[in-house]
Order: sequence, then structure tokens, then C-alpha cells
Amino acid sequence: MRRLTGWGPVLVVGLLVVATAFPFYWAIVSSLTPEARLFEAPSLFPSQLVFDHYRALFDQRDFWIPIRNSLIVAGNTTAFCVLVGSLCAYALARLQFRWKRPILAFILAVTMFPQISIVSPLYLLLRELRLINTYPGLVLPYLTFAMPLTVWLLVSFFRQLPAELEEAAMADGASRLRAFWEIILPLSLPGLATTAILTLVYCWNEFLFALSFTLGPERQTVPVAIALFRGQYQVPWGQILAAAVVATAPIALLVLLFQRKIVQGLTAGAVKG
Amino acid sequence: MLEHPDVRIVRRETPDAADQRHQLYVQWLNARASDPDILQLDVIWTPEFAAAGWILPLDGFGPPVEEYFPATIAANRWDGKLYALPWFVDVGMLYWRTDVFRDAPATLEELSRAAARARDSAGIRYGMVWQGARYEGLVTVFLEYLGAFGGRIMDDDGRIVVDSEAAVRALRFMVDEIYETQNVPRSTLTWQEEQTRFAFQNGQAAFMRNWPYAYPLMQDSAESRVASRFAVAPMPGADGGEPTAALGGSQLAINTNSENPEAAYAVIEYLTRPEQMLERARVVGQYPTRPALYGRPELARALSVAPDQARRIIERAVPRPVTPIYTQLSELLQIRLHRALTDQQPPRAALEAAAEEMRALLDKVGLAPKEPNGAGR
Amino acid sequence: MRGDKRFVGAESREARLAWAFVLPALGTILLIALFPLAWTVWESLHVHDLRMPWRGQPFVWLANYAEVLTDGRFWGAMLHTAIFTVGSVTLELVLGLVLALALNRAYRGRGLVRAAVLVPWAIPTVVAALLWRFMFDAQAGIANAVLMDIGIMDRPFVWFIHSAGAWVPIILADVWKMTPFVALLLLAGLQNIDTSLYEAARIDGAGPWRQFLHVTLPLLKPAILVALIFRTLDAFRVFDLVFVLTGGGPGTSTEPIALYTFNALLQNLRFGYGSALGVVVFVVTFALAMLYIRALGVELTQAPE
Repeated sequence: MRRLTGWGPVLVVGLLVVATAFPFYWAIVSSLTPEARLFEAPSLFPSQLVFDHYRALFDQRDFWIPIRNSLIVAGNTTAFCVLVGSLCAYALARLQFRWKRPILAFILAVTMFPQISIVSPLYLLLRELRLINTYPGLVLPYLTFAMPLTVWLLVSFFRQLPAELEEAAMADGASRLRAFWEIILPLSLPGLATTAILTLVYCWNEFLFALSFTLGPERQTVPVAIALFRGQYQVPWGQILAAAVVATAPIALLVLLFQRKIVQGLTAGAVKG
Repeated sequence: MLEHPDVRIVRRETPDAADQRHQLYVQWLNARASDPDILQLDVIWTPEFAAAGWILPLDGFGPPVEEYFPATIAANRWDGKLYALPWFVDVGMLYWRTDVFRDAPATLEELSRAAARARDSAGIRYGMVWQGARYEGLVTVFLEYLGAFGGRIMDDDGRIVVDSEAAVRALRFMVDEIYETQNVPRSTLTWQEEQTRFAFQNGQAAFMRNWPYAYPLMQDSAESRVASRFAVAPMPGADGGEPTAALGGSQLAINTNSENPEAAYAVIEYLTRPEQMLERARVVGQYPTRPALYGRPELARALSVAPDQARRIIERAVPRPVTPIYTQLSELLQIRLHRALTDQQPPRAALEAAAEEMRALLDKVGLAPKEPNGAGR
Repeated sequence: MRGDKRFVGAESREARLAWAFVLPALGTILLIALFPLAWTVWESLHVHDLRMPWRGQPFVWLANYAEVLTDGRFWGAMLHTAIFTVGSVTLELVLGLVLALALNRAYRGRGLVRAAVLVPWAIPTVVAALLWRFMFDAQAGIANAVLMDIGIMDRPFVWFIHSAGAWVPIILADVWKMTPFVALLLLAGLQNIDTSLYEAARIDGAGPWRQFLHVTLPLLKPAILVALIFRTLDAFRVFDLVFVLTGGGPGTSTEPIALYTFNALLQNLRFGYGSALGVVVFVVTFALAMLYIRALGVELTQAPE
């Protein structure tokens, strides 16, 4: 099978990479540009690079706090969802029982749930439970999208495991439960890891719930903190872009390291089901 | 604080723009946050927050209400209870050119004639400028003309009366100043406080209606062409009414969900003491809400306007309608006022439409005034 | 070899285990997603203004929905959502297809490409919006600088104070973020096409364009449909992007339905009315989601395993 590597496709791909990378490049460059020069005519290759904005970000604005908040919320949500969701996904993928197909379809449908539609009851509920502006007050709503997502991703992953695994274990006398615990789970670690990463990313990026259910910097997550950056006179672009770089770098790193797995997980889940 | 050594005060910064601060407060208070304990409210927010149950009534703490300007206290009462203490006050004033006129005009008719004369003989471009853009400031300007002719937006029973004869006369006067005598330029209909200040400051206007903040800025001879050549006076009255100033300013209130209401009141009590108000006047030029202070020499040194003149104007201050849905009512009124002022609708029709819409809204939210014969809702 | 009785026993044991595994996650979803949804519907049948506790929470049947139908700002929001959806999804599909075709043929550097493709998709939408907001800033933005340099404009254009102008960075930001993902979806579909079909077409004398029209496109239709509905679902719910880029402005001229619902709820505190808007969003999303699941099913039957 010949694969054409003519210059046409390569050019398109090259354009893609440039178009994708440019805003990041521009953000990084601008975040290192002194404030005074930011509002002048921009130049592609700047002469002066300073770390003022990054320093201000952590000294003046305590950007550690939103980072901590995001980590705690995303971490707790992911841990709970992967733990509970993996059981559910295994059952849906490998066990036989009635209602399996409707439940699968239901979970798929819930992944497309519009968050905005449940902001009002969640707000009233959280307010009643005095959970507004708290960590549980974010983790609970996050379960809405994180749980179905985790289950869906893990279902497609579990399906890819060889069908004979449980058979072999049970032929040796193990119960289904033990087969799951001792055979399937260890083999699933890569899939669990990928799912965990994807769920973490989704939680980290979430904005609407974090905006609605937090009140101030003590509990705001990174996206909310950046979106609400206020300056006294002008928009503090230097610091905003520095924050953007800081918020993006770890995700970019994660994604680059695990790209193959992530793409597999995503396209399998979205296309093949 | 030596009187209460165990009270710790933490300041929380809020956005400068009133709208943004309002939104932030609404967000916090609605979520029943216990922080912050003390809030700084714009004068038109008190009834709204009080009716929503977000701030505490202060009567139980025994505040000395008789020591404040009555209008400022009235603006902070809802349902018979006092919900905030006035901290500093802002009032609309008439700025006039002392190098063009000998005295400030005593009536609106005099003002109109003087402005016309200034344009003809002294060659000043604009006779009079005020804030005419479609925003809250327009309502404060209208309030002053309204009071000059004896009209009101809402009466003491909560009834909308902005379509009265006096009101129609007031609005027609404003419209005529733009299109008949042409004392007021059309561009004023897109101006807010700063644009009017620039016009007066550059010597382009003989009269300006604005808040006290403009005074010290225009005294800066480096920036201002009229430094030392202007003074302030109350906005004059007219037939059937009195000189009227729109009341603005800030008040201090306590969050209903505060965990330290007594300590919070102690702080408020401290901040509203006479010495504190004098210091505030000295450091930031804000006007005290205690009439007694206007006889003190320290105030004369601190303020750019002579204290007894300022006091005269503040005593003429009229609050905007004290109702929880003031912002929405104001929006309806602003639209209609602006339509009349931009000559898209005659004043009477505009005010009648505004009144009807405002009454419908009050009705809809269950705030319609009770009918005197008991046939109300 | 299992006997009948043991088989039945094993089956019900398996089912019991399955249910034990499934219930925690399923229960969570029902509690956190379905129960609030039911509550939203219930709220939408009442007046519930959090600023006016004296009004109580009267039951008003469908009065909120009647108000929605006559609400100019609602129809405006639907229009804005439609503009955004059509604009972004069209561009994403077309560009995504071009990209997928190129990726299908370019063998080398696939890893690099995959990475370049995933990072915009993986970052917070809020950050992407801020990047594009900065690039289109009237003074500091590079968009104006470039446009002036190449001579299309001679003065900086203030994108965000014109309703039409403001859509440009909004749509571009979404295209930048999501086209790579669409390309990946379509690429997976492309790779499922039997290459022998191309050979057959080539032997029949068809050039690359006709091969595309008669082989690629028809066989790619299911994948295109999936990508189309998937992106439409997302685009309909757009919030983060517009909140940060324009806040719905100037005025409310770029306000999509999700943002209008948010404003009704958390700015105006009209929970009854906002819930009605939320129900409308849900109904449309649900309809689209049903379409999506059907399209997925179609794709499944066509894709060779």
C-alpha cells in the first residue's frame, strides 16, 4: 500500500501545526513582554523578555490558590469517578444482565447533558446545604459530567480486552469477582490511567459550575480566576497571559506524553462506541 | 481599635464601578455567604437588599438617627425599619462661571436667560450642560428639574406620580432648553459626568450640573481653563417647586448572615463618628452626613465648597424612589425620558407611557400601593 | 460443560454481581443529573425571584414558557446561537475534512501532528478565549497589526464593539480549538475505508477528485454525520467562549442561549424563568443527542470491524 507523501498533504499539515502553535507562541512571548510595551505595535520577535508578570502572578495575585483549588476538586472528582465508574464500566462491558443496553444508551445520553439546565436546582441545593464556595460544593456537581464520561471511556476500553480472560480464570476455579479483581484490573491500569487523565483534564477545564458555585478567590478554580482577573485601570494582559501559560503548560505536557493513548480513548469512545 | 481589642477588621477590595460592585454583592448575599459582614451600599441599593432579606435592620442597635440629614435616613428606611447608616453623601449641584455672572441664578427661568445671554454676548459655546445619556445619571438630573416644578417620581404612599402636570412642565422645560432656547447642546444627550466636566473645564459651558467630585479637579490650573473662575450653588427652583438636589452617597449595612453582627455594628458606629467623618473629608474630600459638622472650621479647611453652602444644598436633597425594584423602574423611566429629550416623543406622552409601565411593573411584583379605601391587593 | 441448573444459577449470580457493580455509578448519575433536571422542570412552573421573597413561589403553570415565547431577548439568543453554530460547525467540518485527507496521506510526523492537534482541544476554553481576545484587541492585538501591515485596514478596528465584528474572534477561536478534533474523528472514518476501492476506481480511470466524490465521500458520510451532530450539540451549548470574549456584548448582541439562561438565573436571580430557559436548552439538546445516538448506530453498522 503506497502512501503518497507529496508536498500537498505535508503543506496542509505544516499549516495546521503553525496555526495551532501560533496563539501559544504569541501568548508566551507576550507574557514575557514588559507591560509598557504590550500596548504598542506588536512584533513577532521581541527584543526584551522579562518575568515581571509571572512574579506578579504569584506574589501579588497568589495564583497558587486557584491552582490548589483546581487540583483538589479535579483530583477528588477523578478519584471517585474512576473508582466507582470502573466497576460500572466493567459490568456494562463484560457481564451479562438485562437492561444492559438501555443503561449504556442512557449513560451515553447523559454525557451530552447541558450543564446550564441544572444550575438552578444545584444552586438552591448547595445553598441549602451551605456548600456554596466549598470543595464538596464543586465536586458534587462535577460528578454530573465526570461519572458518565468515566464510565463511557472505560466501557470502550474494557471491551478491547481479550474475551477469554475471565473464562480462563474461572476455568481455574476463580469466581467472577476474583477474576475481575486479580486478572482484569491489573491489566486495565493503562486504560484506567488514560481515563483518569482525560477526566482530570475535563474537570480542570470546567468553567460554568465553578463560576456559579464559588464566590471568591479562596475557592475559585483556575479557569474562573483567570477569567475574572481585574486590573485597576487597564486589562492586565501581561498577567492574564502568564496565568494562561501556567494553566496550560501542565495540560499540554500531559497530553503530549500520552497522546497516543488519549486519541485511542477518544476516537474509540466517540466513533465506535 | 482600643475600645474593642478583640475585633479584627479585614478589608476586602471590590470593583470601583458601582454596577460591578452591586453584582458582586448580589452574588455573595444571595448565596448566604457570611462574609463580608459589613457592606458599603450605594444609596439606591438599600431598599432592594432590605426587601430581599439580605441586610439586618439596625434599629435594635440604637443608632442616633436624629444626628443625620433627614433625607439620608429616609433613603435607608424600608418597611418602617432602618437598614443602613449614611456614611458620606453626594448631591447634584449647579456650577456657574463667576467671571461671566455676578450671582448664581435664583430660578430656572433666570438660569435660562443668563445662559442665553452668555452665549450671545460672552461667546460661550454652550449655555448649560448636564448628564443626558441614557443611564442612571439622567434620572438624577431629571429629579432636580422635577423638584423645581414641584413634581415627584413616587409619592409617599408608593404611587407613581411621574405623569403629573408638574412633571410634564419639568420635562418640557428640559426639552425646550435643547431645541427652543438651545442653551443645552444635543451632544449632552450622550454625555455622562466626565464629558460634562470637560466641557465646563475647557470654558465651553456657562453652567454645568454635576456632583461635588468635579470641584477640586477643575481647580487644578494645569488642566482646567476655569480654575478659580467658578463657584457652586443649589440647582434653582421654578414655578410651583423648590430648589432640589439629587441625593447620592454611600451607606454602611450589615450582612444578615454575618456571624458577628454586634462587632459589625461597632465598626459601623466607629466609622460614622463625627471625627471619622471629618477625617474622611480631609483625606478624600467626601461630604459628611451629619449636619452639625458643617459648622466646624476643620470642614471648611477640608472641603473645596464652603460648608454652609454645601449644607444648604444637602438639605435640599431628595432621594430617588425608595423601592426594592428601583433599578428596573429607573430603566423604564430612562428610556422614556431619553426619547422625549431626543425629540422622538412629546414629553406628556413619554411620561404617561413611563408611568404606565412603572405602575404595571409594581403591580406585577406585588408592590402596588394599597388603595386608600382598602380595595388594594 | 454447564448443566442447566448451574447455568441458570451462574447467570443470576453474574447478573447480581453486575448490578452490584453498576448501581453505585448509576445511582450517582440519577441523583446528581436526573433529580436536578426534574427539579428544574418543577421550578420552571413557578415564579421564584430570589430578590423578592415577599412574592413567595407561586405555581404558575406554563406562564414562564409563555413569557419565553414572547421574549425578544430569548429569540435573539437563539439567533445568536444559530449564527455561532452554523458558522463554527461549517468551518470545522470543511477544514477538518481537508485536514483529515491530508493526515491520511502524510505518513511521517503523525505523532507531532497528533500532539499539535490535541493541545488546543485539551486546554480550558476560557484560556483559548483569552488568547483570541488578546489577539483581537484593538490596540495590543496582532490581528489588527497584521491587517494593517498587509494593507487591508489603515486604522485599528475595534472588533468587540461591533456585533458583526465580535463574531469573528468568537468563531475563529472555536474553529481553532475544535477543528483538530473533528479531523481526528474524520480520519478514523477515512482509515476504515477499504483502499482497494480506490484502486478499483483508479483502474476505471477516475482521477483523485472523482475518487473523492464517489468513493471517499459516500463512505465517509456516517462519520461526517457523527462529527456534525457532535459539534452541533457542543456549539448549541456554547458558554465559556462567549462569556470571556464578549460577555454577550456589545449589549446582548452576541449572547447565546446558555449565557442568557445564566444571566437570568445568577444575575437577575429569576430562578423560575431561568429554569424554563434551562428546560428549553435541555429539550433541544436532547433532540440533538437522540439524533447523535442514531447516527452512531448507523456508523457502527457501516464500519468494518
